Order: sequence, then structure tokens, then C-alpha cells
Amino acid sequence: MTEAATIEVEVTAIDQVTPLIKHFRLAPVDGGTLPAFSGGSHIIVVMHGAARAHRNPYSVLSPPNRLDAYEIGVRRMEESRGGSHFMHDSVRVGSRLQIAHPVNLFGLDKIARKHVLIAGGIGITPFLAMLEDLYGGPVPYELHYSVRSPEHAAFLGRLRRREGGRVHLYCDSEQQAINFEALLGNQPLGTHVYVCGPGGMISRVAAVAKDCGWPDSHIHWEQFSAPPVGDAFEVFLARSRISVHVPPDQSLLESIEAAGVEVPYLCRGGVCGFCQTRVLEVDGELLHNDHFLSEAERASGKTIMPCVSRARCRSLLLDL
Amino acid sequence: MLVTGIKSKPVYAPLRYDAGGRYHVMLGQEVGEAPLLRVLGDMSGSPEALARTRVLYVPLRAAAAGAAPAAAFGGAGVADVRIFGTTAALLEAFRDLLGRALMGTRLYVAGPESFIGLAMKIALEFNLNKDEIRAEECGTRARRVYCIHCRTTTENVRTNIVTCGGCTRSLLVRDHYSRRLAAYMGVMADAEVPGELPPIREVFA
Repeated sequence: MTEAATIEVEVTAIDQVTPLIKHFRLAPVDGGTLPAFSGGSHIIVVMHGAARAHRNPYSVLSPPNRLDAYEIGVRRMEESRGGSHFMHDSVRVGSRLQIAHPVNLFGLDKIARKHVLIAGGIGITPFLAMLEDLYGGPVPYELHYSVRSPEHAAFLGRLRRREGGRVHLYCDSEQQAINFEALLGNQPLGTHVYVCGPGGMISRVAAVAKDCGWPDSHIHWEQFSAPPVGDAFEVFLARSRISVHVPPDQSLLESIEAAGVEVPYLCRGGVCGFCQTRVLEVDGELLHNDHFLSEAERASGKTIMPCVSRARCRSLLLDL
Repeated sequence: MLVTGIKSKPVYAPLRYDAGGRYHVMLGQEVGEAPLLRVLGDMSGSPEALARTRVLYVPLRAAAAGAAPAAAFGGAGVADVRIFGTTAALLEAFRDLLGRALMGTRLYVAGPESFIGLAMKIALEFNLNKDEIRAEECGTRARRVYCIHCRTTTENVRTNIVTCGGCTRSLLVRDHYSRRLAAYMGVMADAEVPGELPPIREVFA
């Protein structure tokens, strides 16, 4: 995906829906309709900040049958590298942004007999669009939504109004927690579970489901990692024959892009595998932060996902 | 004329115990008893797993129907054993069982391919996938053949050419298999020159 494939949008509405989450409506500047998408899709939003450009993935939460605008929810991250702070502090109604076409790495299983959706905090966003696909259909579903306190339960009003008893809310502040063992241990055959939320929640759901005998093919999750900060290092691109400096607060992918070399990407969050790059030499250690590579691939030292992973090394030689 | 190497032809592997499952449902027909007993042998160290195992079995041989198979499965540690007189009765009970079964169930099927196919057809209705189903083929290789012209399924086909039980066309039995129909496709063999047929041989013993 290159810059040329982005769509220019204008922010037409902003809502502060919880103390930490803002809801944005993005409409194409030239009018008309945006590309079609399915529930669970995300877009990359390109933000041109003062110091550098940010490209962050956000789930599209608006109904898939409404293409006059996309809506996204952005949580203000405490340890932001700038993207979520930019969205919260610098973007106003009327601001222009670029977005990439929607991509779905978290789609509903079309032949499931039941869907169990589990959201933690801002992880509710992909489910809002998925629920549009499920509502009124023949397949039963339920949503389990965990938040720190009632005021942090974004979009709860609209969820409850339409979904009623299919929405189950759990507030940390009330000592309520999802009983994953009871939930996953009592589902009919053909159920699929989908989880989006903090890393701990995802790994817990995956572990409990496995323990209850669920095969991996029935367990779906999505978590976009922000590229972690780290020590600066140098990378040499073998085919482009250039050397690139990766500063502590910039990802490997961003640094390579800043040097004018294009790397194909889709999610920029360590999930899709699109930016996987061959490592030709490394004088040190690769720091893998993605959710895509297998243990064996990581151990091989021959491949890296530059969107979220880094290296602690004196030099790194990539096949780019 | 025969087309081989068709990808839809199912491939089976010897049954093995899947310790990742929480519940185990075993179906057997005819000589399928032996593979199931072998799996139960692998489970002998896990009384908890055996307690969550159900066996549904149809012997199909008048002499064997009765106490003997039930005793064999019981001896292997399974309390919940049901022996059926007909395959149809077994499949009906199986469908009923899946309707009440929970995620975490593993299915083991042992018997002739026609029986495996019928069991798989029901399992598919419940969205069980390849990670949840294991099947071992044993016994007769006779096929269920679906006439693509009149949509009648002819059972127990052992020959390369078979007369359709519905429209009496001579059908060539292909390797093209439908999981949805649990049958191989039968195509009119002498459509171009009526009566001109290849030698009829028993090929599915």
C-alpha cells in the first residue's frame, strides 16, 4: 500500500464519548462514497504532525452499509508516540486527514452457528460494525463488554437500546469480571469467539478457550500494537544501497519510509504479515513485537516485521 | 475415461486420540470397532477423558449385534455406549447428540467411507471443522453414488459403471466427491454413443 492509494477525508464530527475516547466521523472531501467494507475492518489514518507523520490503524465502527463516511473511535494512550495525542489534541471538525482503504483481518466466520464477542475498553470498536452485520440475522450472538467503570463504557447507550439483553457489561469498578471459564465452557458446537481488547484479555481468552477444547480455528482476536520505543540503531538496505538511522521513538518501517523506500504494508500493527522483510545479516538481536511470526520464524533470525519490531544491534542488513 | 487425482476425494488417516478435546464422541460402523478400541486404549491413562466419552456403534452383522461390542467398549472404560440396529437410527441419535453438545467436542468416526460421509454430512451442519473431526476408513469401499441427472443416490456401488436406481441411466462413477451430499458423482457413461460402455468391473471392493 503506497501513499497514492490513500483517500482524502475531512473530519465532519467529533464527540468526546468517554473521558479517554473520542469518536470521529470522516467523510470524503470530494463527496461521493467511500469503499465498501465488512464488519471488523480497519483503516490506516495518516496524520501529518509537526515533527513527523503518524500512520495508525483504527477499526471502522460505523455500519458497513453506510459509505458516506467512516466513523472511528480513538482512545488517548498514556504512552502515545504521538498518533492518539494528535487525534485528540490537534484534529478539529474541518481538519483533513488521509486514510487507506479498509482491510479486514478480523471478519466474522460466515458459517458459524453462534458468535460470542468479547470486548475490553476501546476494543469495542470493531464489534460495533460487526453487530450491524449480525443484527436481525438468523445466527445467535452475544456481546461481553468489559470496562474499568461505567463512565468508560463507550457507545453503551446505543448498544443497549438496540441489542438489549445480548449485551453484558462488566465494570472493574464494581468488581465485575467476565467468567471466561463459564462462558467458554458452555457454548454450543459451531460457536466462534472474537476478542478485542488489552493483550492480557486476549491471551486469557485464548488460553481458556484452548483449555475448554476449542480448536484455534474458532478463536479470533485482534490487537494492534503500537510500535514500542527502543534504542536507536542503524539499518542498511541491501537492494536500495542506503543506510537508515532508526531513532528511539520511530519504528523501523517509519524510518525506512522516511528515507524514501516503500515497504508494502496493511495494518502497521504487527498483525497482517504484509510488511514481513528478509533479514540478511544482524550483528546483535532482533526484538520481535508482532503477533504474526511463529516461534520458529522468530528463532531463525531471518525475518522481521518492521512495523512494530526493532533490533538491538550494531548493524542490521535488510533485503529491501 | 476414469479421471483420477481429483482433489475432492477424501483422504483419511488412522484415528488418534486428541487430548486437546474436552468431550469425545465416537461413531463406528461394521469393522470400525477396532480403530475405536485402539483410540480408547490410548485414553486408558485418562479416566476423566473416558468419563466424557460417548460411543455410538452399529455392527450391521446380525450375529455380532448384541452384547459383545457393548462389552468391548465397556471394558475399555466407556460407560456411555449405545449399540444400534441400523445406521439410520445411529445417525439420528448422533444428530440429536450434536444438537446438545458443547464446544470442545472431538468427533472420531471409524467405518466404511459411505458411513464416514454420512456422519461428516451431519457434523458439517453443526459447523464442526477438520480440527474437530477425525475419521479412519475401514471395511467395504463401496460408494454412495449421486446421479447428476436425476439426483437419486444409489448405495453400495462396487463397480465402475452402475445403473442409476432412479433413472436407470448407466453412470460412470467418478472420484469427484461432494461432502454436502456425502456421495461420489455419477455421470451418464454412454451419452455420446448409447449402449457403448467400457467393461464393467468391480473396482470398489
